[in-house]
Amino acid sequence: MDEAPTGARVLRGALRGQWRGLTLSTALCSVHQVGEALVPVLIGVAVDRAIGRGDGRALLVWLAVLGVVYLGLSWGFRIGAGAGERAGANAAHELRTAVVRRVLDPRGGAENGRLPGALTAIATEDARRVGAVHVALFAGFAALFGIAVGAVVLLRISVPLGLVVLLGAPPLLVLGRLLAKPLEKRSGAEQERVARASAVAVDLVGGLRVLKGIGAEAAAVERYRRTSQASLTATLRAARAEAGQTGTVLALTGLFIALVALVGGRLAASGAITLGELVTAVGLALLLLGPLSTLAWVNAELAQGRASAARIAAVLASPYAVPAGDHALPGRVAGRVRVAADGFDFEAAPGELLGVVAADPADAARLLRLLGRETDPGRGTVELDGDPLTGLHPADVRTAILVAPHDADLFAGGVAENVGGADPAAAMKAAGADEIAASAHVGEGGRTLSGGQRQRVALARALAADPPVLVLHEPTTAVDAVTEARVAEGVRALRQGRTTILVTTSPALLAVTDRVVLVQDGATSDAGTHADLAARHPGYRTAVLA
Amino acid sequence: MSDLLPTADGPAIRAVLGELLRPHRALAAGAFALLAVATGVGLVTAPALGRIVDIVADGRPVDAITPVIVLLAVVAVAQGAATAAGLALTSRLGETVLARLRERFVERALHLPLAQVEKAGTGDLTARVTGDVSLIAEAVRRALPELVRSSLAIVLTLVALALLDWRFLLAALIALPVQLYTARWYVRRAVPLYAKQRVANGEQQQRLLDSIRAGATIRAFRLENEHNGRVARASRAVVDLTMRGVTLVLRFYMRLHIAEFAGLAAVLTAGFFLVRGGSASIGTATAAALYFSNLFAPMNTVLVLLDDAQAAAAGLARLVGVASLPVREPRPLAGPGAVAATGVTHAYVAGRPVLHGVDLTLEPGERVALVGATGAGKTTLARIVAGVHPPTGGTVGNGGAHLVTQEVHVFAGPLADDLRLARPDATDDELRTALDTVGALTWAQALPDGLATEVGAGGHRLTGAQSQQLALARLVLADPHVIVLDEATAEAGSTGARTLERSAAAATRDRTALIVAHRLTQAASADRVVVMESGHVVETGTHDELRAANGRYAALWAAWSGSR
Repeated sequence: MDEAPTGARVLRGALRGQWRGLTLSTALCSVHQVGEALVPVLIGVAVDRAIGRGDGRALLVWLAVLGVVYLGLSWGFRIGAGAGERAGANAAHELRTAVVRRVLDPRGGAENGRLPGALTAIATEDARRVGAVHVALFAGFAALFGIAVGAVVLLRISVPLGLVVLLGAPPLLVLGRLLAKPLEKRSGAEQERVARASAVAVDLVGGLRVLKGIGAEAAAVERYRRTSQASLTATLRAARAEAGQTGTVLALTGLFIALVALVGGRLAASGAITLGELVTAVGLALLLLGPLSTLAWVNAELAQGRASAARIAAVLASPYAVPAGDHALPGRVAGRVRVAADGFDFEAAPGELLGVVAADPADAARLLRLLGRETDPGRGTVELDGDPLTGLHPADVRTAILVAPHDADLFAGGVAENVGGADPAAAMKAAGADEIAASAHVGEGGRTLSGGQRQRVALARALAADPPVLVLHEPTTAVDAVTEARVAEGVRALRQGRTTILVTTSPALLAVTDRVVLVQDGATSDAGTHADLAARHPGYRTAVLA
Repeated sequence: MSDLLPTADGPAIRAVLGELLRPHRALAAGAFALLAVATGVGLVTAPALGRIVDIVADGRPVDAITPVIVLLAVVAVAQGAATAAGLALTSRLGETVLARLRERFVERALHLPLAQVEKAGTGDLTARVTGDVSLIAEAVRRALPELVRSSLAIVLTLVALALLDWRFLLAALIALPVQLYTARWYVRRAVPLYAKQRVANGEQQQRLLDSIRAGATIRAFRLENEHNGRVARASRAVVDLTMRGVTLVLRFYMRLHIAEFAGLAAVLTAGFFLVRGGSASIGTATAAALYFSNLFAPMNTVLVLLDDAQAAAAGLARLVGVASLPVREPRPLAGPGAVAATGVTHAYVAGRPVLHGVDLTLEPGERVALVGATGAGKTTLARIVAGVHPPTGGTVGNGGAHLVTQEVHVFAGPLADDLRLARPDATDDELRTALDTVGALTWAQALPDGLATEVGAGGHRLTGAQSQQLALARLVLADPHVIVLDEATAEAGSTGARTLERSAAAATRDRTALIVAHRLTQAASADRVVVMESGHVVETGTHDELRAANGRYAALWAAWSGSR
């Protein structure tokens, strides 16, 4: 997509992509609507020509016609609605995958200011809503067609009667909508209350272990009961309003039919229309309320679809965090990393195991973003083998420099599957994760493992990827002291000869590094071996050993 | 997942529903009566229209239709009023019973023994409290009133048809076998299909959330294509299942159309013969045809609602399964403040013990640190002492231990409410004192609305360290004699861990405490250190004694303090 996508463009694009299905569906659903409109007409004709006159042949003929109409309307609905629903589902699928592709784009930037839950909702709910526009459109066009046919039939029977129906039905529906307006507002408030009750329940169940730990079960039950009762009160108020609205609409519809019967009955009595036509008119008046309310529904769906398309467009159009580069990565990476940007000034030689101690965690986070090219430096340069990272595509940068986050996510699947790489067993051993069965299952988000196990499997994955440059951020915070010492040795042995940067304040890890860089107040302040710095630098001791 | 929470069977569901409905019998009768009146009144419309036809057919004066029109208007208003009242009462009944049921569910759920919930996973409980409750709420709100009204409409319309002439009823019933067959055909296919759809939808949602949440990791490891593919596959599976559902519904409607045609043709034919034979007027035949076409909508409604009803019944079975469990009183919290575990063995899987005859005694007021490698059995021992798991062998006496684990949970709502879960009657001053004890008062008061700040899901986000301090403040408020801390400082990172250590020390002051130590500084400040290895206690003594002993602990400490 070259131009920045807007909501309208997203919606149009989705519709254009499914035009074949939409056309077929509109045509066939119109056939269905006409059929529905013809049923009361045929009942009227049968009353007139067959029952009224006692004509058996006519009865057979008109029943046969009725059968053909049913066949047509049934077939039109089955094929037409199927094609329309398929178009909608396909459009939603296309948008869903497009949103995820944009979020996962190596250049990043789509997550800025959006929570994962919100992005997931856009990829599911909003995509579904735009898909639903397809369904609304074919249903809407078909309803319009049905209304037109009904109108023609009515006006042909009698102009005054036709006008009563055609002019009376829309105000009736408008009145119904007006009555529903305050209801919608209340129902919004009600849904909020209900959602709140449900959220409180989920929250309490989610914190069940904590509740049990402090013996707070009874207090929690009491809290839920209060929320549930408040929700009940709100629900009952809304339900009463809704019942009132349903009753009113029912009464209005009844009065409308009485009006049609009054006008039609007088016309029939005066001989202006036949008995059958009177029956048809009453039937059609009832039937037209269907497509007319479909139109109101279509309108609401379109409004929601437009809003959803705008949200999708905003994600697709979000600016990239970093631009793509202008040249490819050279074939072989030696692994010399120089950071001379935004206050940092240090270099890791090829094959070096370098420790970086940042007294302020924010500095560590900043450095990691620069190394993984998640942002470009404000001033200065970050170089790989003397080549500035800004000239490389972020995907290429990450092939060469793997920045393994401290809170890396695991994915549903087996442990070995998560670790991957050429030699997962060696990586698991180095990460102190060899006691975790490689075949064990990692639940969604890794929740079937303990915090310490999760962290070690994530570390094993980073080691197994075996990149030319590996940056590890606090890889052992959830690991006990005994294992941490083992992990430090394991990482050192496994990364022999390849550049590794350990961003950590853990003395056990720093003890195995070749050299340590100290970052204080946003800038590189000193460098030396762990023992050297620990002996002579009070700031270093505070950051690492206190 | 063989240990899912119980699901109720038919008799159990009926028993619980009966119990919940009993106090509202009058309400139920009133709601039903009003809806029956509304439907009955509505049935006057068709013969009234038929009457107009007759008046015209007999060539009577135009004004003769006026009383009939007035009748139609009165019917419309009466039907509207009775429907409104009936629906209001129906939802009052449904919602009240539903509220009672969900409250009872939450009550029983929160009183489940933790070991049972751990086995089933909290996911099962969460799914029941969200998915199943909203499934039933939806059924109560939409399906129940519709079902009652439609069923009444069908029954009363058939009665009215019979009143016009019993032969009309006979003709109308021609459609019935087709409809019954179609309904059975549909439900048999729809129920498993919709179950599959729900699973696929949940999977898609989870896949999306997993991939989107892990965006940074995916980009770092260059897994973009793999995850795009995973999401596309999950989404495609949902599309395919949706289309199978659509096809099924459309075929269902096709069969219903056949039934409609058969019935309509039969009623018209019956009208033809009855009018020709002189036993019915044209108006009666018209009324019969109108009655029959009025049956389409409620018939379709009932048939469509069948699978909603099935789904709601399944949800109900899962809710009642938990709601009919007995409430167990939480274990008594009073006690002398001592812990004595003797010869404790434990095996999660029979034949593979993780603890081998551990003896551990804590004097009242003593602080003991547990040290050891992952898998040494520290956490298992801590949980047994806290009473989460009963030991496989040996005995444990404790003074009602409270457990704080590395799993932190901040309850959604004002911060003060979160704290009051531990002591509901605590004053604001007591809350502040508790926060101050664990060193959290400064940041808590600096929150946008102080202690009234909304925290937890959807509110102000607390850091990992703040959440842990909050957990410790709750502990101070609960004021137990014995505290078990398991990895309470693990996830905070090194800098936060030091602050938390101080908070934990303050919270455990003057209490008996068993601390699973992560950082050895925690062990250094304990009264006694217990070193575990492979399910055995291998060293025990004060920090200084163990350092002097030059054993495992001494080696660990040397590595930790960088003094090697």
